[in-house]
Amino acid sequence: MNILIVEDESRIAKRIERMTRDILGNTIQSLRHINTLQGAMESIGKGSLDLVLLDLNLNGENGFDMLKSAVSESFHTIVISAYRDQAITAFEYGVLDFVPKPFNQDRLEQALKRTITNEKTEPNETKFLAVKKRQKIQLIPIEDLIYIKGAGAYTELFLTDGSKELHDKSLEKLEQLLSPIFERIHKSYLVNMSEVKEIIVKSGSKYMAELNNGEIIPIGRTKYKEIKAKWV
Amino acid sequence: MNLKAFNLLILVSSLLLVTSCSQSPVFKEHETVYKIGDQEAWASKNWNDQNWKGRITQMQAGQVFWSRTQIDILKTPEPLRPYGLRLEVYGEYEVFWDGVLIGKNGNPGQEAELPPEGKLWTTFGIPTHLSDAGKHVLALRTSLLYFPDHTKIHELDIDYYDDLFSDDLVENAYMHIYAGAFLIVSLYFLFLFLSNRQAYSTLIFSICCFLVFALTLTVFSKEYIPMHYSLHVIRLQVLSSFLLGISFLIPFYFSKQFPYPKRKPLLIVYAGILIMVFLVKHQAFDFTAVSMGLGMWIFSFGIVSFGAYNNARGARLTLLTLLLTLVIYFVTSFVISLYAGLGLILLSMLYLLTLQRKSERLAYENSLVQSTRLRLELLKKNIQPHFLMNTLTSLMDWVEESPKKGVLFIEALAKEFDLFNQIEDRTLIPIAQEIELCRTHLEIMEYRKEVSYIWEQEGIDPNENIPPAILHTLLENGITHSLPLEDNTIRFKLVFESNDDFKSYTFLTFAAGVNKATHNNEEGTGIKYIKARLTESYGSKWNFTSKATDDGWKNEIMIYS
Repeated sequence: MNILIVEDESRIAKRIERMTRDILGNTIQSLRHINTLQGAMESIGKGSLDLVLLDLNLNGENGFDMLKSAVSESFHTIVISAYRDQAITAFEYGVLDFVPKPFNQDRLEQALKRTITNEKTEPNETKFLAVKKRQKIQLIPIEDLIYIKGAGAYTELFLTDGSKELHDKSLEKLEQLLSPIFERIHKSYLVNMSEVKEIIVKSGSKYMAELNNGEIIPIGRTKYKEIKAKWV
Repeated sequence: MNLKAFNLLILVSSLLLVTSCSQSPVFKEHETVYKIGDQEAWASKNWNDQNWKGRITQMQAGQVFWSRTQIDILKTPEPLRPYGLRLEVYGEYEVFWDGVLIGKNGNPGQEAELPPEGKLWTTFGIPTHLSDAGKHVLALRTSLLYFPDHTKIHELDIDYYDDLFSDDLVENAYMHIYAGAFLIVSLYFLFLFLSNRQAYSTLIFSICCFLVFALTLTVFSKEYIPMHYSLHVIRLQVLSSFLLGISFLIPFYFSKQFPYPKRKPLLIVYAGILIMVFLVKHQAFDFTAVSMGLGMWIFSFGIVSFGAYNNARGARLTLLTLLLTLVIYFVTSFVISLYAGLGLILLSMLYLLTLQRKSERLAYENSLVQSTRLRLELLKKNIQPHFLMNTLTSLMDWVEESPKKGVLFIEALAKEFDLFNQIEDRTLIPIAQEIELCRTHLEIMEYRKEVSYIWEQEGIDPNENIPPAILHTLLENGITHSLPLEDNTIRFKLVFESNDDFKSYTFLTFAAGVNKATHNNEEGTGIKYIKARLTESYGSKWNFTSKATDDGWKNEIMIYS
């Protein structure tokens, strides 16, 4: 795992680093610490990270722009901040967890465990997905999302207006961030269940979901029973 | 004071003035003719006075002369209601009506020998049998010791004897109420001034009200304060002086309310013109009064127009009031427009004063709110999450990793809290206390940031005071926005300089990677706090600059003496 700590308080950065090493042990490939916003932006842009632990207030600067670009990347972001009132906004942007300062090792462990166990985020408050678009970050409201299709390391977001956007996060990571109304009906599809009109059973135990816009999406054989029990 | 009631009072009194002057007369007065000499027969109704002159020239002081005035009574009086004759004539005289002596005012011809006797304003009854409708003759046997060139009947009125008195009584009553109102207002604003000696507008207004009171009282006390004609000039001089004062003070007041360029020279010129008018035609009292009144109106109008042009508060209403007084002047007489106009103008001045007091009160309330806000901001410094939570996180770490150091950290924190507690409700604190606060803060930040902070100071005068936590705020900014130098230090230096004109605190940060963008961005709450504190303690006599230097940052606080 490649981890980046963005924190301008030296003592706290060391604490995070020490605890992270304790918790994740030798799953860590690299662990770096950066204390300026600019340096952090550069590191994030280079990619190859798996997790960023981010303080939102660096040297008196507002870190929300930085948060926007962090959440648009493939890695998960955990915010560690002194401002508890920023938690809601952070979750809306789609962070994996928000660790308020002061924190102990247990709290940090709880947050870090989510990256390993693929546990869903607790409040499920994610309201936007940040998408990189021509050097800019665009926030796409969750309610505009019909379904998401996995495409290798990245994903395709299919929106209500018929358009399609690319996201750098994997389907697994997005499933973790999005509310339970998004159901993984197939290994390559994450669908907003309120957009599903009906489930079609075809010959040969093939199952399909027909969406409100007429599109038809396959349902995984193994997933069918679970979905039927939950949604029908 | 209830403005509406006051307004109504002025309206009523001016209406009464108008009505009392507009009753249809019961007589018609013909030209008065004069002759020097003394013959009893000149009193008779049918004496041929065709060779008498319209005016007397070259008369010796105290010499007896006669005047004859033909009067047409237009209406025979009602039964049991005799007519009376009201006179304002200079001199001591005997009054003959159709040859009959109906009264005596002093001792004509014996003025030099006898002490002054008689009044300037007199009223005589006209015998009923001599007041039928038709031609009559009023003859006066007069001597004029004091103003021999003033042979003139200044006022002549014939009406029902009772009405002559009761009309005056009513008019006087209202004018005394009018004057009394201004006396009370004058005293009230005088007391207000005494309780706040800076409020010169209140004093000017108070004096204006008093002068109007004095003017009115002097004019309308003639009915019950008998006065010999020899004193009349003094009375007129007193009246003119009151009017002079009013004529200067009203535009002066407006000048204070609606400032305009070159105020002082213009006011001096205006005062010069007024004094010239007052002195040059000193004996022509009516001319003086009208000129001064008009001068006052024109100058005030100019000032208020300028105020209205600049959208000054209350200027429009004042301008309207001034225009209204002009209308009153054209519609009625000078005397009526004088009192009605002065009343209205003073009312508008009162209105301006109320506006001024209102804005002062708002400013004061604002300053109270501001002080409370600053106090809260100071208190918040130590509990705002960025400081508190980061400190506590570091503290947890120190306690876990090195408890002894953790204890020292807690002690430093306790000290800073204690210092904040001491200065929390102060607007100025000794500089030594402020420096201690800064040093303690650096101690805390060293535990958090693990940067070596160096504090230097130069030329500090321990007797100086400074608003609380302003250097602390600069220090916080310095820590937040900069990165340590290569040897892991950030150096702060406070330099104090003072001379007769100003005191200055220069606060320097020596660091790497000062974040100019955020430093320069819109004014942060810290800088706002500093500016608000400086305003609170020094008004506008301060200056604050903050800029990047080659090796860090430079803040400068100048406090002017």
